[in-house]
Amino acid sequence: MTPEAEVYRRFEDRAAKQLRKTQLPLILGKATDSREVRRRETFAGFDLPALRDAAEAVRAHTMANLDTYLDRFAERAEAKGTKVFFAATGPEAVDYIRKVVADRGARLVAKGKSMAAEEIELNPALEADGVQVVETDLGEHIVQVGHEPPSHITAPAVHMTRRDIAQLLAGHYGRTLPPEPEALTAFARGVLREAFLRAEVGISGVNFAVAETGSLSLVTNEGNGRMVTSLPPVHVAIMGMERIVPSFRELELLYPMLVASAIGRAVSTYLSLINGPRLPGEIDGPDELHVVVLDNGRSRILGGEFRSILHCIRCGACQNVCPVYRQVGGHAYGAVYAGPVGAVLTPLLVGFEKAGDLPHASSLCGACTEVCPVKIPLHEHLLGLRREVAKAQRPTGEVLMFRTWAMAWRKPGRFLLFARLSRLGQRLFARRGRIRKAPFPLSRWTKGRDMSPVAGRTFRERWRRGLRKGGA
Amino acid sequence: MDRAAFLERVREAVATVPPVELPVAFPRTPASGSHADFETFRASLAKNNGLARSVGRTELAGAVTEVARELSASGRTVVAPDVLGLYGEEIERGLAAAGTEIVRPEPGAWRDEAARADLGVTSAALAVASTGSILIVPGRDHPRVASLLPPAHLAVLPASLLVAGLEDVMPVVTAAADRSSAPVLITGPSRTSDIEMTTVFGVHGPKVLRVLLVEEA
Repeated sequence: MTPEAEVYRRFEDRAAKQLRKTQLPLILGKATDSREVRRRETFAGFDLPALRDAAEAVRAHTMANLDTYLDRFAERAEAKGTKVFFAATGPEAVDYIRKVVADRGARLVAKGKSMAAEEIELNPALEADGVQVVETDLGEHIVQVGHEPPSHITAPAVHMTRRDIAQLLAGHYGRTLPPEPEALTAFARGVLREAFLRAEVGISGVNFAVAETGSLSLVTNEGNGRMVTSLPPVHVAIMGMERIVPSFRELELLYPMLVASAIGRAVSTYLSLINGPRLPGEIDGPDELHVVVLDNGRSRILGGEFRSILHCIRCGACQNVCPVYRQVGGHAYGAVYAGPVGAVLTPLLVGFEKAGDLPHASSLCGACTEVCPVKIPLHEHLLGLRREVAKAQRPTGEVLMFRTWAMAWRKPGRFLLFARLSRLGQRLFARRGRIRKAPFPLSRWTKGRDMSPVAGRTFRERWRRGLRKGGA
Repeated sequence: MDRAAFLERVREAVATVPPVELPVAFPRTPASGSHADFETFRASLAKNNGLARSVGRTELAGAVTEVARELSASGRTVVAPDVLGLYGEEIERGLAAAGTEIVRPEPGAWRDEAARADLGVTSAALAVASTGSILIVPGRDHPRVASLLPPAHLAVLPASLLVAGLEDVMPVVTAAADRSSAPVLITGPSRTSDIEMTTVFGVHGPKVLRVLLVEEA
């Protein structure tokens, strides 16, 4: 197999594996539908096009001036005693955080949800240093116990049933647990409360960093965000460098846009605003606050054709409506960011060699673009990326095939011959009106999709036989 | 990476990006306000599974007693000092009538005591009618843990601090940025839907949230 074919194989293989879990599309469909319905209900009666325009403008303005806002953020944050570290790469960020943890002699880290931390593979690095890292978001904790990556931006364990979860937690903690969300949640509250109180370092992500005041904000419903940023003596926040807003004023728009798009409520249960480490005289709060600002490939995207993917506010609405994601789930993408946003962002961050197949994991229906609260033209980016990947990888086999096809179809006589031959040839492969397995080289196509067989009679044949009157 | 070099890379990348104006005003969002009235607040909070009551100053002690009877079974309640400064007499009298003792931790012991208490009473800097939110501003006289660790949270604030919508919160939050290390906007009790999208309350923070808005006579 040529290297180029290897690249194209990966999503298909992972997707095929996920599709063998027959209940997966059912679970995903139910979960994502309920969120999509609530999203629409929450925006009903509001001028959503105008809101999206405004949100897009805020994001585009901020990105166009990102250097200024990042500089201001760092200056204001440092003035309040926050330590800001700029990490050009994932390893730089990881090393910095490992050092912060080691300097405290910490053995236990309580972690809140952070896609950026997943991106830089922080947990394995800390664990290799002998540090125990406990994910405290319930969904994240479940997938951590199951040694799986999260499968949805805002619902990490969306691919699992209550029975899966009960079994997993029971096995890990050596308890008997009923498959009831109430009981499982109460159990998790107990074990995770222990971790919050004992942890020497808390690690969190960032939803929005506020340049004007050097503040961070965290959007959560469970309250674990407040816990990890309040209880341990050290708080480390990690953010992609695009996660910035000029001032608190913009949160008036972006915060409800995020929450409504993610879970269909106007606001989340908690909007934690972190202005710095504990102030002199304050009763509680961490005495050290570190913010790690991560580039890790983003500055390559920032000035290019696909730059609006950095406008993403991580609501997950595009995953909820994506017909591909809803069938195969997040794990098929083999990357931290799944669904339409991941299919755009991942190849840009990690390169076409590793993830050039992901832009093909889409039907290009555009449902993602329609729901995106910051108007990222996701399906157009997917198409654009396919072009870029093809340019970079030049899939010669495919080019040759399309050339042959074009040659065959260009002349009426050749076309007819092609149709007749196909009709003859497909008898061996068509089953119940579909071709699911074709011979090489068409097998490359049918590996990931099925196709319609060539019609029994061509239009021209039918025309000649005068069937046009009956319309059949 | 050195900050200057990092920012230089960003500057070069955005150099060719066309400028976009920051909008001066935003369209109405699902969190925007219209009426700063108690009924709107009560209904919004109820939608988020929290209970609000409007009480006159003379009724406050009685309302506190009711909440404590219901939610403080062991009789251990932590109270943020700042709300005692505002309504100390009523809160102490109300809790005493429910047989509840106010735990008064030493400065270093707040965390452990709050973790053992079954009710935390705090002030709030704002109540937001459109969303049913309250803004908590911890500080010198207000521990973060009082509204975080006990399984029930009671916020008591003057009715005059009720505002219409999220747009009224942002200026207050901006002004508080130098004064408090961690303000938090709270809307209802802690919740999760991580298991089959079934909503469960009290996963990490309080399971129960009550708000008393106090009308001055």
